[in-house]
Amino acid sequence: MKITKFIVILIAVSLLTSCAGKREINDLAIVLAVGIDKGEKQKFKVTVEVVRASDARGQTGSPAGNAGDPMWIASAEGDSIFEAIRNISTYSSRRVFWAHNYVIVVNEELAEKEGIKDIIDFFTRNPELRMRTWIVATPDKAGEVVSTQTGLEVIPGEALSKLFRYNPISAVSPRTQIRDVHTAYLSESSDPIMARVKLQERVVPNKADGGGGGGEKPPGGEEKGKGEPSIKQIEMSGTTVFKKDKMVGTLSKKETRGLLPFIENVGTAIIPLTCPGKEKEKITVEVKKNKVEVLPFIKDNAPFYKINLSLTTNVVEANCDFDIDDRKMIDEIERNLEKKYKGYIKSALEKGQKEYKADIFELGKTFENKYPEKWKSFRENWDEKYAAAKFDINVKAEVQSGVLLYTPTQPGSRGK
Amino acid sequence: MDKEIKDLLKQQFNQNLTTNIETIEKVLDKSSDLVKRDFVIHGTSNLRAVCYFTDGLVDKLQVEHVLESLQYEFHKYLATSDGYVDFENSADSLNENLLYNSSVSTTKDLQKGIDAVLIGDALVIVDGLSEAIIIAARGYAMRSIAEPTNEQVVRGPRDGFVENLRTNTATLRRRIRDPLFRIDSVQIGKKTKTDVGIAYIKGLASDDLVEEVKARLSNIEIDGILESGYIEELISDGPWTPFPTIQSTERPDKAASSILEGRVVLLIDNTPFTLLMPVSFWQFLQASDDYYYNFYIGSFFRLIRYIAFVVSLTFPSIFVMLASFHQEMIPTPLALTIASGREVNPFPVLLEALLMEISFELMREAGLRMPKPIGSAVSIVGSLIIGQAAVQAGLISPFMVIVVALTGIASFAIPNYSSSFAIRLMRFPILIASGTLGLLGFTFTIGLLLIHLISLRSFGKPYFEPFAPYEPNEFKDMFIRSPWWSMKKQPSHVTQNTNRVGSNQMPSPPKKGEEDES
Repeated sequence: MKITKFIVILIAVSLLTSCAGKREINDLAIVLAVGIDKGEKQKFKVTVEVVRASDARGQTGSPAGNAGDPMWIASAEGDSIFEAIRNISTYSSRRVFWAHNYVIVVNEELAEKEGIKDIIDFFTRNPELRMRTWIVATPDKAGEVVSTQTGLEVIPGEALSKLFRYNPISAVSPRTQIRDVHTAYLSESSDPIMARVKLQERVVPNKADGGGGGGEKPPGGEEKGKGEPSIKQIEMSGTTVFKKDKMVGTLSKKETRGLLPFIENVGTAIIPLTCPGKEKEKITVEVKKNKVEVLPFIKDNAPFYKINLSLTTNVVEANCDFDIDDRKMIDEIERNLEKKYKGYIKSALEKGQKEYKADIFELGKTFENKYPEKWKSFRENWDEKYAAAKFDINVKAEVQSGVLLYTPTQPGSRGK
Repeated sequence: MDKEIKDLLKQQFNQNLTTNIETIEKVLDKSSDLVKRDFVIHGTSNLRAVCYFTDGLVDKLQVEHVLESLQYEFHKYLATSDGYVDFENSADSLNENLLYNSSVSTTKDLQKGIDAVLIGDALVIVDGLSEAIIIAARGYAMRSIAEPTNEQVVRGPRDGFVENLRTNTATLRRRIRDPLFRIDSVQIGKKTKTDVGIAYIKGLASDDLVEEVKARLSNIEIDGILESGYIEELISDGPWTPFPTIQSTERPDKAASSILEGRVVLLIDNTPFTLLMPVSFWQFLQASDDYYYNFYIGSFFRLIRYIAFVVSLTFPSIFVMLASFHQEMIPTPLALTIASGREVNPFPVLLEALLMEISFELMREAGLRMPKPIGSAVSIVGSLIIGQAAVQAGLISPFMVIVVALTGIASFAIPNYSSSFAIRLMRFPILIASGTLGLLGFTFTIGLLLIHLISLRSFGKPYFEPFAPYEPNEFKDMFIRSPWWSMKKQPSHVTQNTNRVGSNQMPSPPKKGEEDES
């Protein structure tokens, strides 16, 4: 009897819920990228890139495929981001699903005028959104960026995400996630940064019709009428700098290279240098490892930072004669590299500290960690203290190897 | 009528042969397989005797041999006193001097005599003797020893139990020659009177356990035992559970190893399936090869089986739960692939999974019941129609086919059929709960299942041991199979810790210097 009751209750529990909260995976509009622009009539214009799964995957046995685009772009305006999204659902037949969002693209004009406060709030408050979504700024229309098919990836959102995932190879933009921006925004000293992407026309040499990688013509690929076919590509181009929640400026790719050691573990970077003694020829080194130490001190009641950067590099291409045993030459390459890297860091610090007055290097945090007591008196007027901070930059570079070759690549060098 | 026969059976043998014959024929009537052989003992004054046996159950050569010696030699050994036959002592004299048969006994009870006839012995009644002579002459056609088809091994003995109890006890005895190895016998079933052997090693199997088994067996009241499943259900600790709390096996090596671990084995006549008790749940995931191969191989395949267990229990439920409730938990590229496969699918995921699971079970059952030559047709039709056509028609998503197929294969990797069946059965409630309540339903049903499993007992021993209660020492032979030289103790699950492997059994090359000693 007891068991009968138990079973009846179990069956009732599962049947009477009528599958509450159930939503089939094929009834979702899975958002892979979202772009936020300034609206024409209202405050925000939100553009979502929804993947059309059957076309993105080319599923055999699903007759719905072959209808064309792997994605569906929808945009709507609203006075708040959530209102704009709700406006999208007035014409989206499927429920907009955010959990798989790869990337948030913010228009720089919006970031400059309206600030990113609303964006940070919305994207961290909503439980369906992840804190580890990439967030980038763009000088172009964000809606255009999220709907640009690059040709290599089927879905643009995926292309953007992979661009960041494999970003350490190029090291020209920081890898910023909504979590980092959120943290920096909430922090009393640090200021947020975002990776900067822009649309760039790239000539496709071998194509007459300007098509991308596939057979179909991607929407971004348009002919300019000048003869050269080209396709729009999303590319990384430095950093966007914010003061509190307003955008104040950008860092170029080279300046970003000076910024990166402060905030994250840089992977590899390719640095072309002039050959010692031969101005016209180039020798290229690849930074394999870098170790940075930011040591805060107090000097004249102002912060003073000692920045020690040590680089381990390989020579990956030598146009001039390069011999790994040639100590003198290596020394010179190392000095050149040190000079170059010092320049990067200096220019980044210059811009951040003097021009934008934004602590994007997490210098306040470093200081607080070392002098928690002193920080109490500094925190009130950190902006002034930061502006008065002095730096001592030491770069130590080491050329470790010539990869596979020890001797110069020159005719007749074999058999010596 | 019934009562009359019952009263008759309580009688004892009469000195008068004619009365005896009348009684026996009243009881057994005229069964066509009952053979009555009248004869006269030579050298006496027409001393009549009769031999009863069941045709087909006896070895006729043996019977003829006995009859021959009785007819021609009996008079020489008839005990006489005062020139008359001394019937009081004749039976013993006969026993001691004449019968060449290896097993002869006398009885006074009619009941026992008739039982002997029905079991395949020959019953000899001599006029004037108040005792009947039972001569063991059993010999009937039976299946020869063959490899058990349900529990195959790659390495290991190829013999299996057969339907004959005696052969089975012999197979066990050949493996365990310990003088303390006991095979006690009871008869169960009012009508079938099935012989049941209780095999254990005295001292190793705890006395309580043996007593408990015997007590439970003696409590059974049933008309017939046709298979060990009857006994299993009548003595198991959890009458409602789908999980087997008694293990059944056709493999003598498995039974022998159980006996060596201090368990009790029940051998039941007329079935090759023996029962091992007590068991823990994890034993169902262990195969005998584990112990015969190198321990790395044994451990690896055991781990594979644990994976198979988890997969066959939960895989469809996890898929249904993720695809209909928690899409955020699926990695994005995989989510897109699943979504694209389901794009034209008319059914909700839960219904699709239930349909596929049921059709899979249908195919399995049909393949089992079909006559063997047609059996392969089922799999061809099944795989073609379900696997190919249903996906192409857009009825079933390809992902679901993979999920169900993988689940099916995983359930076949579980070595014990009855536990594999229990796991397959439990899949359905978990599936329905996950499809209606999502992760909540999934964890809830898994929780219920665990509570149920932990509360189960097998002959008083916790079913989930050594996992719960936690016995770290027993883990040597649970997820992995440790090398034999490191498993020094018997599993404490069933018996007190006794040494099984001597110390310092790990082989190593001889040290220098010691080499020359021998």
